[in-house]
Amino acid sequence: MTDVLGNTLNLQYELLLPEIILAITAVVVLTLDAFKKELRVGYNSLPFVSVLGLVGAAVATLLLLDNRGNFALLIELDDFTTFFRLLFIGTAAVLIIGSYEYIERHVSHVGEFFALILLSTVGAIYMAAARDLLTAYLAVEVLSFSLYVAVSLAKNDPRSGEAALKYVLLGGVASAMLLYGLSLLYGVAGSTQYAEISEALAAGTGDVTLPLLLGLVLIVGGLGFKAAAVPFHNYAPDAYEGAPLPVTMYLSATSKAATFALILRWFAGPLLPAVDDWAWMLAAIAVATMVIGNLVALQQHNIKRLLAYSSISQVGYMLMAVTALAPDTGVATSGAVLVHMVGYLVTNLVVFVGVIHFYNKTGKEEISDFRGLAQTNPYLALTLTAGLFSLAGMPLLAGFFTKFILFQAVASADYLWLVIVGVVASTVSLYYYLQVIKQMYLYEPLVPGRWRLSATGYLTTGVLFFFMVAIGIWGAPLYEVADAAAGAIFFV
Amino acid sequence: MGMEQAWVLPAIPVVLFVLIALFNGLMPRRGDFLAILGMATVVGLVFLLLLDFTGSFRAGEFVPGGSNVFAFDWINIGQGFFVIEFSTYVDAITMVMLPVVTIVALMVMIYSTEYMRGEPRYGWYFAVLSLFVAAMLTLVLSGNLIQLYLAWEGVGLASYLLIGFYWERQSAAEAAKKAFVTTRIGDVGLLIGIILLWRATGTFDIQQIIAAATSGQIDSTYLTVSMLFLFGGAVGKSAQFPLHVWLPDAMEGPTPVSALIHAATMVVAGVYLVARFSPVYAEVLVARDVILYVGLFTAFMAGTQGLVSNDIKRVLAYSTVSQLGFMFVALGVGAVGAAMFHLFTHAFFKALLFLGSGSVIHATHRQEVEGLGGLRHKMPITTATFIVGSLALAGIPIFAGFFSKDEILHALISDGPAWAYLVLAATAVLTAIYSTRLVLLTFFGKPKDQHAYDHAHESGPAMTGPLVLLAILATVSGFFVFDQVGEALGLAGGIGALVYLDQPHHFTTLDWTFAAGAAGSALAGVIVGWAYWGGDAKRAVGARSWAPDLHAFLVNRWYMDHLFQAIIDRVILGLASVVAWFDKRIVNETGVDGGAQTIGYFGYRLKFLQTGKIPNYALGMAVGVVALTLIAVGG
Repeated sequence: MTDVLGNTLNLQYELLLPEIILAITAVVVLTLDAFKKELRVGYNSLPFVSVLGLVGAAVATLLLLDNRGNFALLIELDDFTTFFRLLFIGTAAVLIIGSYEYIERHVSHVGEFFALILLSTVGAIYMAAARDLLTAYLAVEVLSFSLYVAVSLAKNDPRSGEAALKYVLLGGVASAMLLYGLSLLYGVAGSTQYAEISEALAAGTGDVTLPLLLGLVLIVGGLGFKAAAVPFHNYAPDAYEGAPLPVTMYLSATSKAATFALILRWFAGPLLPAVDDWAWMLAAIAVATMVIGNLVALQQHNIKRLLAYSSISQVGYMLMAVTALAPDTGVATSGAVLVHMVGYLVTNLVVFVGVIHFYNKTGKEEISDFRGLAQTNPYLALTLTAGLFSLAGMPLLAGFFTKFILFQAVASADYLWLVIVGVVASTVSLYYYLQVIKQMYLYEPLVPGRWRLSATGYLTTGVLFFFMVAIGIWGAPLYEVADAAAGAIFFV
Repeated sequence: MGMEQAWVLPAIPVVLFVLIALFNGLMPRRGDFLAILGMATVVGLVFLLLLDFTGSFRAGEFVPGGSNVFAFDWINIGQGFFVIEFSTYVDAITMVMLPVVTIVALMVMIYSTEYMRGEPRYGWYFAVLSLFVAAMLTLVLSGNLIQLYLAWEGVGLASYLLIGFYWERQSAAEAAKKAFVTTRIGDVGLLIGIILLWRATGTFDIQQIIAAATSGQIDSTYLTVSMLFLFGGAVGKSAQFPLHVWLPDAMEGPTPVSALIHAATMVVAGVYLVARFSPVYAEVLVARDVILYVGLFTAFMAGTQGLVSNDIKRVLAYSTVSQLGFMFVALGVGAVGAAMFHLFTHAFFKALLFLGSGSVIHATHRQEVEGLGGLRHKMPITTATFIVGSLALAGIPIFAGFFSKDEILHALISDGPAWAYLVLAATAVLTAIYSTRLVLLTFFGKPKDQHAYDHAHESGPAMTGPLVLLAILATVSGFFVFDQVGEALGLAGGIGALVYLDQPHHFTTLDWTFAAGAAGSALAGVIVGWAYWGGDAKRAVGARSWAPDLHAFLVNRWYMDHLFQAIIDRVILGLASVVAWFDKRIVNETGVDGGAQTIGYFGYRLKFLQTGKIPNYALGMAVGVVALTLIAVGG
């Protein structure tokens, strides 16, 4: 089939099979929830069907492993796409398995909740897979709108509505900036196709430098909001605190990773020829993010807000690496970003699933509520400790290996000063992680008595714990996979 | 089982360690049979490996660093800038170590089923034994220094856990700590050596480092310093002066552990390390001389201390330190073959002696020779095997120790200074004397503690079985050096040729005159021992009152522990209080706390940017965009 411009379009729908499965599953889940009385199905069927759909999507992804190509010039199917498909599907599965008990008790409109998670996963995947600015923008909005709603779904928590309102209003501002930036970029390059933008920018921008710069500023601002980079981060702690815990986890995991997938696609692909125009912007934002994220985290008393700031500082580390995407070491650097992203995701999920199960038991989320956990639930205390140490970058855990790879890549791209800022900031972070660990190990519990996690709690934390240690002591396979995925996004 | 599959050997005990440590509560007999079966499998595989190795070695197909290497990249950072491989490497030195480690470990495990029966943490005991074997096998198979270092620390950890196995006992916990801290001092030296070598060559691969060092690519002073640091690691692990103080205390662990770790295997890791780098030590003769004199001094000093100790296990511990000194002397004159051969025979007879002493302790619950005596009537098998072990230790002909010790003395008189030979020969006589003394005081004479004697009984088959097997090995393992014996066993070329890689056919005949001299001095030592401690040991008591100061000097271990304690008290603690003051006032209160307060203050101020009001947040975003635009357009 050809379009009006005479381009030949490839319309193999099977290339989109994983996302089609996810979308259908979302519809099925909504239907099940709406007719649960008539169909006589219980709550547990909703997470079960959702996970089934995710497994189906994962299988479809693996079946498409060797297919390369694009769908109608809009969606690119390459190693990078496959990498993120598996990552996002896995994250969604962990979220659902690890927190379905929480969702039943603390989330209103459970059917919509699962459907929104599944649909936002589709959006996240297309952010990584788009090869056209408009497709990418639509994918961003699919993810964002799902999340705006999901943030508001906490049952009996007035903070939830407020958080959602802030998030949607400020998100609207950010979307407007992003869209305006993309329009300017289209004006400069004359196309929305990544490949053509790359060619146009490589040919020289001459008279149109100013619109290009303005466009880049707005794009960086819009993406900075989605990634929660300073100074576009202010909404994040409020949204994190107000949202139901699984949504907080999703915001800090999939939403962030998807934004970085998009950032890598754009800055390593179409925008790479203009690297001199944007590298300093990202460097400035990265420094501000690392410094402020870590400093403000020192003052937090709520575990969700603490993790919000901690994830902001992680964004700083990754932005720092995007700055260093200079062409000759670019593949290694973006591979390092992917490695760190996986390490961060696994670690972050360990901590969040642990916190969710802690909340299931106690209904509390202040850091001081964790006192004495080592006595009441030593397994959970150990898991959380390992997770927090990994976030701080302690050796033998994923966080150390991936951060080391990341910093090493940035250093070898001649951005040593950025690495120094990163290392110092990262040292500060150990302090606030240790605050939580101190509560768990050095104080007596308020309510004595042992308790256990549910079976799915042990399962999810156990599997994630295994991966966290496995990546920490033998990260080479992950590194190779990430390198292959990163190699796919460069045009030159 | 070819040489490339050698990684299977440590893999089996690793898996068993995890399984037994986690699930021993669910297993029948707490999983001890699993550990033993696994170990027996490993012993079998070692012999298959031996056949493959000798086969290809004799056929001329053995290429060092060639087909025998199994490797994959463990960490590769910066496109080859910093690569750590996991690799196994097999050569003659490895092939001497493997049977030693695995056979002794198997014997010790079987023995432990009876010795440790009914102990708390029985399953954990076998799990840690498996961990130890895994780490030790990784160590001797390692093709690169990082892996070697990890395994080196792994055996240290297992040793720590086992010395402190009875951690409820204060002395055991103290001894475990002492062993760990003392060996750590050496380990730091090893690590520094590894880093220095890496800096000079850019690789951790042992064979590449040896190639670079022997081809003169490294400045010789730099190389000497690196190799001395490396030897520092060996000094700690192999309990050489001045880091020897931990080994006698390590006897707080269960006796089978002493046999496996603190006599036969872990403590020879230092010998192995130096032997592994012997081509490099041949380039840096200053470092090699240091090894020679450290070994010589240690051998003599520990020998004299063994003469007066009253604890049966401590006598054996001193003798271990002394015999390790012998091995380092051999390495110090470049006689790698002799050192490895003594390591090989020593492992069997010293494990035998320790297990024999364990049998005595098990039967009497006494380990002071003052409470023993006359046990030959009650424990015939233990007595007979213990005598075999002692004769081997003393260096009496036909027993294994004779051949290997003779070999070291021969190497020393050929390539070393004459006075060194005299000292070592005197130490050999001392060895014979204290071995005889130990046998006489334990198994002969009159029972000194009638109660303990009455309750004594021969141990069961799970303990005497390994004793008999080890006694056989302690007798015959010396003959292995002769090529003819090896050929008769079906190993083309013989084990002797294998041990003596440098001079393959060195060992068809002995230097009989020299050997006769050595045998004579050993016999003389036995006779002296008999004369002094035979019967009711009148002469020994007389000697003690004749030179009380000397006796006190020896009993107090040459006042070495006192000296160290004084150094620690005066110098180190004095210096530490200065550093502590600096750390508290300057570093901590001014630097860290000041820095932390500053940082905390900034965090506190910045917190108030978080107002919770939407217009403020939107303003923040707008400021960000405008600022970036201004810089973009202006800059």
